[in-house]
Amino acid sequence: MSGPEPGPGMDASGEARSGRSEMLRNNVPYIAIVLVVLLFTIVSGDRFLSVRNWTFIAQQTPVLLLLAYAQLIVVTTGSIDISVGSSLGFSMYMAVLGMVWLGPVGIVCGILAATVIGFVNGSIFSLLKISSFVTTLAMLIIVRALLNIISDGGSIYVTEQAATGTYVDSVAAPWLLALGRFPNILIFALVVTALMWVFYEKTLFGQQLKALGGSERVLSLFGVSVTWFKIQVFVAAGFMVGLASLISLGRSGAGTPRAGEQFELDAIAAVALGGTPLTGGHGSVLRTVVGALTLTVVANGLTIAGVDPSWSRVARGVLLIIAIAISLNRRRIGVVK
Amino acid sequence: MSENGGALLQVEEVAKSFGGVQALRSGSFELSRGEIIAIVGANGAGKSTLIKIVAGVYRPDSGRMLVRGEPVAPRDHNVGHMRHLGIEVVYQDLAIVPNMNAPYNLFLGRIPKRFGIFVDENAMRRKTREILEDLKVTTVQSLREPISAMSGGQQQSVAIGRAIAWGREIVILDEPTAALGPTETGEVERLMHEIRDRGTAVILISHNLEQVFRLADRILVVHHGLTTPAFPRSGVTSEQLVRAITLGEQVA
Ligand SMILES: Nc1ncnc2c1ncn2[C@@H]1O[C@H](COP(=O)(O)OP(=O)(O)O)[C@@H](O)[C@H]1O
Ligand SMILES: [Mg+2]
Repeated sequence: MSGPEPGPGMDASGEARSGRSEMLRNNVPYIAIVLVVLLFTIVSGDRFLSVRNWTFIAQQTPVLLLLAYAQLIVVTTGSIDISVGSSLGFSMYMAVLGMVWLGPVGIVCGILAATVIGFVNGSIFSLLKISSFVTTLAMLIIVRALLNIISDGGSIYVTEQAATGTYVDSVAAPWLLALGRFPNILIFALVVTALMWVFYEKTLFGQQLKALGGSERVLSLFGVSVTWFKIQVFVAAGFMVGLASLISLGRSGAGTPRAGEQFELDAIAAVALGGTPLTGGHGSVLRTVVGALTLTVVANGLTIAGVDPSWSRVARGVLLIIAIAISLNRRRIGVVK
Repeated sequence: MSENGGALLQVEEVAKSFGGVQALRSGSFELSRGEIIAIVGANGAGKSTLIKIVAGVYRPDSGRMLVRGEPVAPRDHNVGHMRHLGIEVVYQDLAIVPNMNAPYNLFLGRIPKRFGIFVDENAMRRKTREILEDLKVTTVQSLREPISAMSGGQQQSVAIGRAIAWGREIVILDEPTAALGPTETGEVERLMHEIRDRGTAVILISHNLEQVFRLADRILVVHHGLTTPAFPRSGVTSEQLVRAITLGEQVA
């Protein structure tokens, strides 16, 4: 019989076994965060569990979470976007620059910039058939360089009040700074999460993401315009980076040439910690929330425990490997390159 | 019916190359409503390429194709248009998306929507149940599971059900029973008769000459990328057919 069929000897109990390992894989993110929270509670106790600290975590997670959503959109199709960090920094700068030029509405320049970067990513990847890794690696470099050129190494600050005279590289937007504070930033992230869930689980676009991750060849055999869809995927991811840039700007209060550096790694790690296989085909918004939270909690817990920041990064790198090792669906891959 | 004697499909000297490889040098045949035509030929002769041109997967380098007497314009020569005209294929490897469920696979390329963006999952599940019941597939546990969790036979049923459900005019089957046991083969052959009786034309690619003699009204031989004129099943012995397949001899 054609098609993937269980081989001889793979009887009902074999299927039950693979069902159980599937279930385990699906629950790894939840188990992981419980273990991480328990660990830091034991190590740091009250300081880790304090309301103040969890308020800090609630402020810290949203930017990463939205970047992880952008990554989830792309990863579900089996591709990857490592330009999200550069794109975030660039969009934050364009948002604040837009406000300098146009007033508050100028903030849409941030979303626009990220969406255009997504469009360029998608077009190069889909039309020129260059792998998403290479395409977005080039964009990571190019976009960061453009940001350095445009900003000329300087920063633009978001302030509570209009600057008087000397302090010209700033724009007054108290509402944006308010958006960056707790609880507003959390509410914003929760609203985006709800919309993202509907988008990912209930729309045709969301289903198509998973199907593309399953078999691009079959989609084109049945008349689905894969070329255009792949561009749209990166545009959607870019738009999500644009949303992230708004709250990131509100939280940090400045568009700077180095903003967002290495955030792409955290975004990929959050998706992987959320149990989404980097080979694509399926994924989960809620588990991505757990993944982003886990990553933030680990960084936070290690800081509180007094671990040197460099060692903290080592720990997060190890965590990333463990996450990917668990979320990998080994039946899908023949060779690893 | 029009002047062309009611031919549903006319394929006229279509050719297709891939890089330097001439997969199909010249393919011609006609197909009438409710007819079963078998395409036979050695491996690599160009059978799959020919039916993929009919299905709109490949645009022919030269030659043309008419559906109900209407030439298909080159810019319309794509899968979307052919499916719109009621032409569907059951591919050799079934062409299912393994990580998606049976309803998604059945509605691939024509997912029903609500409010323009949402998937109408209820409608899909309802229709899927109907189609699977018609095909007498009753052992499916869950329509929410990925189709890879189904048995190979069930996956084949979904692939065939998809073609029958949407293929009003022509259903193409590329070696559909090559990997099936006798019972399942009988079931697939019964389905072919059923859709023929409703007026749908069937194109069957098969290596099983007994099956070809059992089912086909006419037989088309492809040899080294060339088709020979199709002949009625009754006018040929199996020795003649084997010679035509292996040597490319014309069958008078
Ligand atoms: N997409 C393709 N790219 C390159 N060569 C192809 C392609 N499809 C078919 N061919 C070649 O064209 C010839 C005919 O193939 P095909 O139509 O699949 O034959 P059949 O179905 O009769 O076995 C073979 O030599 C095959 O290798
Ligand atoms: Mg073939």
